[in-house]
Amino acid sequence: MVSVNITIKSFLARNTPVILLFTSILNEIDFNNTELKYFSFNFSYILIFYYNVKRENGIGYTFIFIAGLFNDVVNGLPMGLSSLCYLLLCVAASYLRNITLRPSLIKDWIFFLITIFILNFITFTYLILFFNYEINYFDQLINILFTFLLYFIFSYIFGVYDNIISGKFY
Amino acid sequence: MESSRDDFIIAVRSAFLKKGYQQKFSLFSLILFSIFILTLGNFNFKIIEFNRTVIKEIIYYSSFIVSVPENIVEKYFNKTSNHFRYYDDYERVKNDLQKLKNKDLSKKIITFENIELKKLIDDYFVEDSQAYAKVLIDKKSPFLRSIIINKGSKNGVKTGMIVYDDIYLIGRIVEVNFLSSRVLLISDINSKVPVTIQPLNIEAIMSGIEKKQGQLEYIQGDKLINKDKEELIVVTSGSGGVFKSGIPIGKISLTKNLNNNKVIVEFYRDFSQLKYVKISSHTKENINIDQSNKKNFRENSDQMLKLNEQVSNINVLKKQKVINEEIRVKLELENKRLKNNLITTEKELIEKDKQIKKDILKTKNIEFLELNLLHGHKCRKSFFKSSLYKVGTDEYRACVLNKGSINRN
Repeated sequence: MVSVNITIKSFLARNTPVILLFTSILNEIDFNNTELKYFSFNFSYILIFYYNVKRENGIGYTFIFIAGLFNDVVNGLPMGLSSLCYLLLCVAASYLRNITLRPSLIKDWIFFLITIFILNFITFTYLILFFNYEINYFDQLINILFTFLLYFIFSYIFGVYDNIISGKFY
Repeated sequence: MESSRDDFIIAVRSAFLKKGYQQKFSLFSLILFSIFILTLGNFNFKIIEFNRTVIKEIIYYSSFIVSVPENIVEKYFNKTSNHFRYYDDYERVKNDLQKLKNKDLSKKIITFENIELKKLIDDYFVEDSQAYAKVLIDKKSPFLRSIIINKGSKNGVKTGMIVYDDIYLIGRIVEVNFLSSRVLLISDINSKVPVTIQPLNIEAIMSGIEKKQGQLEYIQGDKLINKDKEELIVVTSGSGGVFKSGIPIGKISLTKNLNNNKVIVEFYRDFSQLKYVKISSHTKENINIDQSNKKNFRENSDQMLKLNEQVSNINVLKKQKVINEEIRVKLELENKRLKNNLITTEKELIEKDKQIKKDILKTKNIEFLELNLLHGHKCRKSFFKSSLYKVGTDEYRACVLNKGSINRN
């Protein structure tokens, strides 16, 4: 019974981020476009960045790549664009992890802001230059702002969850 | 300095190339692969298109399955909340029904008239194909407001077909897969719909801004002042040929728009509540004529030609009549003028006659006076000439005129 519990906890600890990522992408509820006019955030960015900074293995680059493809298809974006952004986010998180000797949430937070600015810049540039998309920059700015602000809260929630579920594994 | 640069390079190289535990691909290779896929997306090779379609089908149905629990929860939540609103809804629906019944008859008449008039201007579209589809995914993307439906090329769905909810326009098909299609909603910022604002009959382009609202472009809010009614109706104009004309979209509330440069359209339908939609395409009505109809058609055409000739003859005669009438009026006027002239001339003539008579009389008197001076003494009665005439008598006058010779008859 104890070993089953450990197995379940181990499975949850390893795979919760992946399950969360795919559920958030495939589910119809999308925080990128909420019912509220001045509130939206990119949950996938927070999830990917947090787990790639905190864990050596992250979520798994291949999973992230596939999740990006899923996101593109579901959202009607050019295939590969979200994958590229997610992977670049992983690069930034991985770089931050490599150079960090003493982890600090504030530093992670600021680094996350710079990274999502760059990623959104890449997304907008690609969509405008190659696909003639018309973008509401104000909405996107609000999205970036709330993604940045909520990173702090979600990192706390993920940390608590990790401690509860698999404190002894990590 | 040198060592910090090395640290940076090592950190970056590690970030890009280091594979994690149980990871088969490095970030660098996956990024390259993403760029490769993005680049391929710009080409329309058949094999790429096929793979893309297959991937999309799998993902759409995966997304539909993943969304099932959420949809069930949403469905029961909506059901429960609807129960609390039943009585209010019933009262409202009852009132609405009464109003609609009153409007229905006049609407039918207007519809028939509209169809006849559209046929006359060759702008009457009939549905050549239609299908009903279920909404598979209603994903709220920040870049594209669209829905995925469960009908694809297998069911005859084609790119560009119009999608309705009831009779209201909600979007058009922009992507077709084998078993699914993507509908670009009119609430999307990239959706540009040519519209007409009724009853002012002003044309504009509408793009989406929010889930329940669109914005009219190339128009000023102050041009929409309508003194009679508070609300204006927005329907498709049919310009450009993408949408047929007259599909209802939404309404403009003037009280909200008057002080604003943006003209906001409130859609009739809430796009977040779509379950089933109608897809249809339209073509101009073609009238098929068989042999018997052709004969009738020819006979009718001949009759029409004859009638046309008669009509043209009648027109000519009418014109002639008008000309004759004009001539008659002119002649009458001329006649009247001449008559007047004649009367005037006759009067003048009489006057002149009188004048001549006066002149003659005057001349005779002058002549008598002249002769009287010369020969009066020969005729005037005096003491010694008692046989002559008294002055002023006719005999005296006759004597003077005869220059003193007495005419004794």
